[in-house]
Amino acid sequence: MLDMQHISKVYRSDLVETHALRDFSLTVHAGEFVAVTGPSGSGKTTFLNVAGLLETFHTGRYLLDGSDVSKLSDDERSRLRNEKIGFIFQGFNLIPDLDIYDNVDVPLRYRRMNRAERHERITSALELVGLASRMHHMPSQLSGGQQQRAAIARALAGDPKFLLADEPTGNLDSLMARQVLDLLEQINEMGTTIIMVTHDLELARRAHRNVHIVDGQISDFRAYEPLPEAVAAAGTIGR
Amino acid sequence: MNLNIRPVFSALLRNRTGAILVAMQIAIALAVLVNAVYIVKQRVDRIGRPTGMDVENIFAISSSGFAQGYDHRATLRDDLAYLRSVPGVVDAVATTSVPLSGGGNGSFLSPRPGGMHSGFTAQQGDGNYFEIDEHGLQTLGVRLIAGRNFRPDEIAPAPLSLAHTEFAPSVIITQAYARYLFPDGNPLGRTVYDYLSRPARIIGIIDHMHGAWPTVDHPDRVYFLPRMAYGPRATYLVRTEPGELNRVMAQVEQHMGTSNSDRVINWVRTLSSFKADTYMSDRNMGTFLVTVTSLLLAIASLGIFGLATFNVNTRTKQIGTRRAVGARRRDIVAYFMVENWLITTAGIVVGCAMALGVGYWLSHQYAMPRLDLYFLVGGVLGLWGLGLLAAWQPARRAATISPAVATRTV
Repeated sequence: MLDMQHISKVYRSDLVETHALRDFSLTVHAGEFVAVTGPSGSGKTTFLNVAGLLETFHTGRYLLDGSDVSKLSDDERSRLRNEKIGFIFQGFNLIPDLDIYDNVDVPLRYRRMNRAERHERITSALELVGLASRMHHMPSQLSGGQQQRAAIARALAGDPKFLLADEPTGNLDSLMARQVLDLLEQINEMGTTIIMVTHDLELARRAHRNVHIVDGQISDFRAYEPLPEAVAAAGTIGR
Repeated sequence: MNLNIRPVFSALLRNRTGAILVAMQIAIALAVLVNAVYIVKQRVDRIGRPTGMDVENIFAISSSGFAQGYDHRATLRDDLAYLRSVPGVVDAVATTSVPLSGGGNGSFLSPRPGGMHSGFTAQQGDGNYFEIDEHGLQTLGVRLIAGRNFRPDEIAPAPLSLAHTEFAPSVIITQAYARYLFPDGNPLGRTVYDYLSRPARIIGIIDHMHGAWPTVDHPDRVYFLPRMAYGPRATYLVRTEPGELNRVMAQVEQHMGTSNSDRVINWVRTLSSFKADTYMSDRNMGTFLVTVTSLLLAIASLGIFGLATFNVNTRTKQIGTRRAVGARRRDIVAYFMVENWLITTAGIVVGCAMALGVGYWLSHQYAMPRLDLYFLVGGVLGLWGLGLLAAWQPARRAATISPAVATRTV
């Protein structure tokens, strides 16, 4: 479970103070597929960065899978990211100098897994996203959709509990976007909790619920589909 | 720390142009560094070799008689009597030339009569002689290890002209020259011959002394003849007590400049200054090589630093992504250090071959000793250290890149 309570995040410069998140509270249960929407500058990406431990926050409490992350060191945050969170970025963020196999291998190496286990996880992840036959291609040799699938394989290879996606279809045409979203749904059905930031309301409708952010605060909740049984049984949605 | 060499190496191979250029810089720097340091070390060793003399406490004074009535023998007698009487003077001698000065007298000796046709081969610098009296050895500070010094009654007066110069009945020679002339037996008491087959007996052996030409192959093949030097030019060597050199020099120069109106004082100089002048080319060569090598090392360091900085700047997003998927700061530092280490090592491998090649070429072209492998090992370790040092700051900066960079679209 991801549980944020009264989180605030402020960016300060010499002249300006920007409140990216204000008294932000959100709970996401295991197995959910949550879409986060909002206009540009509303705080969607800041939320994703804080949720994914890419940035720290100033006040509030954040429990990730039961662990209070507010007091963690940088190394401990890295370890949590590596073990519990998978990231999918709008620009895919594949390392251009490594082939697909080595790209998927990156987070596994940081976990210091042995070679055989890494190989098994990489091939499984690439098979899941349909890129097993392209594992030794360079990112530049793949289409945008294939690159995003490779990025999803990288995110999944570590068997994370949470998949955080930042505009995962933002750089794809509609056909490829649909394929990627199908894949995310398939992954969610396998039990992985997904939080997807998007500005596309059509895509957001395919999530279990939509969290709408305006000016760093949640302005609206909408549930589009019946929630997974586990979530419904817990009886907690949102703040 | 997570040292994953294979993916770093794979990534390097795909961006190899800059890496190859920096590796070549390192290779050239290593080849030059190792050989230059080796040459400098040889020069420093040569400059620092013991001369066998009390160089720091000896000065020389040169005078020339010019007047019609100039009496060279009387001048030598009076000057030496004065010099030996000055407080702070250990001893003084009139001689033909100044040791270590680069200018002297040479006439090789042979263990057999026959002169040039004796079948004995002289080498460069063999037979550098000095004409001295019984005060010569003490003035120079050389050590007699066998036989005896000249006696006063053996000293021939200064010849009235060069045509009257005779070879001496007895000589004192350095141990090195004695061994060269008589490698199989005790040279003391043996007879040597000059180029006109005139004989002389070896009456004393000194342990070591560099002659007038310290940069030749055998600067220690020196001998002494018991004779006052030919005029009208007179060269005196004066040895002082430690710490008295400057005072005595000033006092002597003032006195001798006015004591005899038939001659002039040409110069007064320390033996140290002659030595410094003689080794000036060695020092200049050393300075030049150190400067060039330092510049090369600086360029190589800047190359490493520049490449590492460029790589960090162009991989900001990649670094952020690595951090996002679990890399710790030290993993990022390790990545760039490993990358730099691979480049440096490639340069070092090529550089080792180049260094050995250049060393082999130098030893053949200039008859230098073969490159000492310890210098190569030192150069390798030094460049490895330099490479890591140059990459450290960019690597540290890379580690400060926030993982949040991964989610930025610009």
